[in-house]
Amino acid sequence: MRRKYIIGLVLLGVVLWSGYRFSVIEEVAKLKDRPVAEVLESLGDNPLPHQADLSVPGASIENGRDLVLYGSAFGPDGRMGKRISRHFVCTACHNVERDEPDLSQTNPLARLDYVAQKGLPYLQGSALYGIVNRTSFYNGDYFKKYGDLVTKARHNLREAIQLCATECSQGRWLEDWELESVLAYLWTIGLKMDDLKLSEEEYQLIAEAKSSGQQTKAIQTIKSKYLSGMPATFVDPPEDRRRNEPPSGNASRGKMIYELSCLHCHKDRRYSFFLLDSSQLSLQFLDKHFSKYDRYSVYQVVRYGTSPMPWKRAYMPQYTLEKMNEQMLEDLRTFLRQATM
Amino acid sequence: MIYRIDMKGIFSVIFTLVAFSVLRGQNPVSGIFSDRWVINSPSVELLPARKLDARIVHRFGDFAGSGGGWKSFYGLENAADVAFGFEYGVSNRLNIGLSRTKGAGPMKQLIHGVLKLNFLRQTKGQMPLTLSGFGMATLSTGERSSDPSSVNYFEKFAHRMAFHVSLMGARKFSERFSMQLSAGLTHRNAVPAGDENNLINTGLVLRLQATKTLAIIGDVALPLNGKQSPFNGANSPLNDYKTPLGFGLEFNTGGHVFQLNFTNSSGIMPTDYLPYTRSDWAEGQFRIGFTISRLFNL
Repeated sequence: MRRKYIIGLVLLGVVLWSGYRFSVIEEVAKLKDRPVAEVLESLGDNPLPHQADLSVPGASIENGRDLVLYGSAFGPDGRMGKRISRHFVCTACHNVERDEPDLSQTNPLARLDYVAQKGLPYLQGSALYGIVNRTSFYNGDYFKKYGDLVTKARHNLREAIQLCATECSQGRWLEDWELESVLAYLWTIGLKMDDLKLSEEEYQLIAEAKSSGQQTKAIQTIKSKYLSGMPATFVDPPEDRRRNEPPSGNASRGKMIYELSCLHCHKDRRYSFFLLDSSQLSLQFLDKHFSKYDRYSVYQVVRYGTSPMPWKRAYMPQYTLEKMNEQMLEDLRTFLRQATM
Repeated sequence: MIYRIDMKGIFSVIFTLVAFSVLRGQNPVSGIFSDRWVINSPSVELLPARKLDARIVHRFGDFAGSGGGWKSFYGLENAADVAFGFEYGVSNRLNIGLSRTKGAGPMKQLIHGVLKLNFLRQTKGQMPLTLSGFGMATLSTGERSSDPSSVNYFEKFAHRMAFHVSLMGARKFSERFSMQLSAGLTHRNAVPAGDENNLINTGLVLRLQATKTLAIIGDVALPLNGKQSPFNGANSPLNDYKTPLGFGLEFNTGGHVFQLNFTNSSGIMPTDYLPYTRSDWAEGQFRIGFTISRLFNL
């Protein structure tokens, strides 16, 4: 009799444990599809301050998408609004898809391989995908470029968007409905839990956090998997631009940089009046000027960019070290040299 | 002879060309020419949508000959013609423009309206050439002459007007060499006695890219009928019309295109130089000219 009770209890335990395990597995599966911000909030984290206010007349996700991709949208009066910028749209410098393989760090070489696999361009700006999950913007050396303008934008996504619209894209201040629409769209491309490189144990920790009282640890675990702000380091061109002659970088990687980055803006004059293509004339021209101290030098424009001027507001933003390291510049130089030999 | 224009047929051809171009216009060849104009000839190139081209064109006086030389500092002290104007990309396939020229022929103070359409774009391995249409309407705002035999007597307002249409086909044969052939019709509502209202003409434009920023360019426009045609006695001692012929250098710095050229035609616009070019290269009646084109985003 006693033996039967023990077997019954063991079986009951197994059933209960299995049920619990299944519920955890199911919870983990559901967790992977959930937005990171939502999971963090459910764990007791403070809500992010840049929630979109869709009660503003004219604000909508669709309008936000149009503004980000095309630069204008239909306003609350039903008429097409004025373009934010005559020169650029958001996607001139930012991907709206994920463009980093590991969101917890920046690695330009890994990023280049990643975007090449995904068929995306390689851009100066960080991806808008997941930007709503960040809490600081215009980090690092951006104060050197924009001075006090970054102060308000550094911890305020609305201000960061306005700074981008007026300064980076040389356009205008967004109206309320536009700003809220852009935010609403950006929330649709926020990070999902599946974007984070979480192990099964970490998923389990998060799934069980409420019942086990480990919310703080779960929140920390999630936040350790992505950057809350993108570092930005401005560097000068090499002091001796004629060093390493002939260049000995990775030409195939240089070709990727040329095609995914340079041609993104310069091919068919998409965003620049300076036409580049894959012809020998273009490649020879860039190779010839690469090491010079003039405005056509790749060293010059990659590290310093160009400046907007009256009547010529379209300009080239520079690449931070996190987006184009020294090795990549040498790879580009090597490609140009070898392609023209 | 009465010519009947079948508008239905023309629209059918245009529709077919546009439809064909949309279907086949993937991966087009870029930069057949750097500018929308090559010296005096319109090129197949169009401005991209929402781009504004501000243009200043100048033709100095005769470089040599009786009107040139040291006394006019090789023509630099005279202005044969001057143009100021704008062109705008309504879409990637439709441009409009408005400009004003001094006028080198008998019609003066000219306002030109321009319409340009792109029908086909040269595409690697698919479409061998780019095909564009060009239309210009010119209005003389100059004073009326009191001489009834003068072209600018302007008995009717319509006599102030002239028109030019052309169909241009161009191909970039290599990254260094492009060529364009065109067929055009220039119509003047009022012409000098014995002249023809309709001038059929053909044109040739060449471009040789020397470096990324420098090209050698040339253009010639050949009237095929009327007194202006070399096949009808032009360039003979009895007829002083000459064939407009120019060559020059083109510098493309990105936002700017700068052309420095030599041409025998005094006029800048087709409605002016095609019917009225009388300057002769052989007599030193060619001139230095330049074009400055500056693009803006609008």
